[in-house]
This record gives sequence, structure tokens and C-alpha cells, in this order.
Amino acid sequence: MTLFGCAREKEVAALVRLGQWPQACPAELRAHVSLCRVCEEVALVSGAFQRARAEAGTAARLEAAGPLWWRAQLRRRNAAIERIRKPILGAEIFALTITLLVAVGFLASQAGKVYGWLSWFEDLPRTLHFEALWPSMPTSVDGNLWLVVPVLALLALLSGVVVYFASEKQ
Amino acid sequence: MSWESVIPNVLAGDAKAVACPPMESEEFAGFYERSAQALWAYLARVSTDPALADDLMQESYVRFLGASRSEEGEVAARRYLFRIATNLLRDHWRRPRQASIEEIPEEFFGAPDESGHADSKAMLGPAMKLMRPRDRQLLWLAYAEGYSHREIAEITGLASASIRLLLFRARHKIARLLREQELNDGRRR
Repeated sequence: MTLFGCAREKEVAALVRLGQWPQACPAELRAHVSLCRVCEEVALVSGAFQRARAEAGTAARLEAAGPLWWRAQLRRRNAAIERIRKPILGAEIFALTITLLVAVGFLASQAGKVYGWLSWFEDLPRTLHFEALWPSMPTSVDGNLWLVVPVLALLALLSGVVVYFASEKQ
Repeated sequence: MSWESVIPNVLAGDAKAVACPPMESEEFAGFYERSAQALWAYLARVSTDPALADDLMQESYVRFLGASRSEEGEVAARRYLFRIATNLLRDHWRRPRQASIEEIPEEFFGAPDESGHADSKAMLGPAMKLMRPRDRQLLWLAYAEGYSHREIAEITGLASASIRLLLFRARHKIARLLREQELNDGRRR
């Protein structure tokens, strides 16, 4: 016997597990166990745990194996779909960013023409004599209108994108 | 591999991208039948909560099936299953507070044991409740399941060299508790 164990403790534990302790065990080993503190503890503890294991086994409420197997398959499949979806989402975001950049670039390049259209738009109420219909209507439009309209349009577009992604996540 | 080849297969659920499960349905049914009672007993006795044992056992099998492990035989598969269950128990104990398992007070683990009436005969239940969770794990794996120190180290993630000392201390403590319990029962009679 050493400080933390005995060379025969495995033998004792195995006999207890097989249900051969103490009746079917050699008298020499029984004599050793009565003198060896470690083996005595092993016999006591192994016996208690083996009885508890047998009792707990009968108390188990086991679910059928089939549903567990299918649940595992479903989880594997969902994980695989999730793995595939991640790069697709990345590609969608990339495409949207490029589209927005192109749109902004186009608007910037067309700013001069837009200003011309806006000038025509500014003159439209005067041409059609709308001021006669609505006395409160502004007769002159602010010069920054050419900047405000695209910004509002961009905000509307971004709001739509945000709503789309939010609804898709849900 | 092109998108066209992967996406329809994944959605159909029969692609290689999903990967073959480690066990077929019939094979799993046999393995489950042979291992479920032992796993439930381990979880129920270590957690002292049969309802929690039910939940953790199901999750253990689902994760076991989800793991892509090569075939290593039933003994290794069983050991791996116990390892998953041990990790789930540890996660469960750690969840309410972000503290080390060693710092969590004993009463936190002492959920009501509905199978106490069976323990009164075996005397193990009350003694187990007085043990630290890690000691319960070690003792159960060693003396109920008969795992070697190396196998216990693999299941619990502890260093193989420390198992011997930890197990010695735990065994010594529970043997003392069992003897005391026996003495008390003898006096009552």
C-alpha cells in the first residue's frame, strides 16, 4: 500500500463491479481488504456506487431514440444552411454598397443638369400662375433645393433597406 | 464547388455539405439503448436533479450526433458522450454567475432530489449531496462507471496526474460520510 493507493484496489473494484464481492472472492483478498485501509474504502465506496447505479438505471425516464436522431439531423442541416447564408449576406451588402456609390457618383456628375432642371422647376409655379391659386405658397424656392431633394431620396432609400433587412432577420 | 451545386443540396438536406452523421438511425438506436441509462444515472446523481438530467441527456445525444467524429468504436463513443455531458453540467453550473465552479457554494447545486426515497436504502444520496460537484463526477466515473484515471482525465478535462490525488481525497471523504451514515442508521434502529 502506498500513501494514495494500493496495488490491489483495482482488483477489489472489479470484483465489486462484477458482483463477486465478498462471497465469490478469494479468502486471501478478503484478508488483505480487512487489513488495507485503501482497499476497504474502495470496497465500501464501489459497493455503494454500484447499488446507486443500478437503482438510478431503473428510475431513468428515457425518450425514444428516433426523435433525438431527427433533432440532431435538423440541427446539422440548420447549421449547414447558416454556414451557406453568411457569405450570401456579405455579397448582398457588398452589392448594395456598390449600387449606392454608383448612384451617388451619378448624381454628383449630373449635379449641373439637375440645377438646370431645378431652375425650370422653380419657374414652373410662375409659368402656370400657381401663386394666384395659393396665396400662401412660397413664390421663390430656396437655392439649396437641388441638394435637399437627393438627400431626402437617399434617406428614403436607406430606410427601405433597413426595413428590408430587419424584416428578413425576423 | 459552385453555388449552384451547394445551395440546392443543402436545402434538400441530402448533400455532402451537410456531412454524413456519425451514426445511422438504427446504429444510434442500439447505442442509445446501451448507454442511456448509464448516462442518465451519471447526470442525475452528479446534478442531484432528475429533471435537469432529462434535459442534459437529450442535449448530450443531440450534440453527440452533431459532432463529426470518425468511427472509433463504442467504448470511445461512450466516453465522448460522457465528456459532452460533463461539459454540459459544467456549463449549467456556470450559467447563473460568471464564477469558477470551485467558488460556487454547495447549496447552489443541491436541487431537490425526487429520487431520495431510493437513496435512503443505498445511503449514497445524502452523502453525495455533501460532496463537491467535481468530486461527485470523479467518484461516479471511477466507481460507478469503472473508468481509469486516464479516461476520467479525458472526460473531465482535468490533468491526468491530478486525478489520483483528487479521487483519493474524494473517496476518503465519502467513505467517512458513508460510515457515519451507517452508524447513525444503526443507532436509530
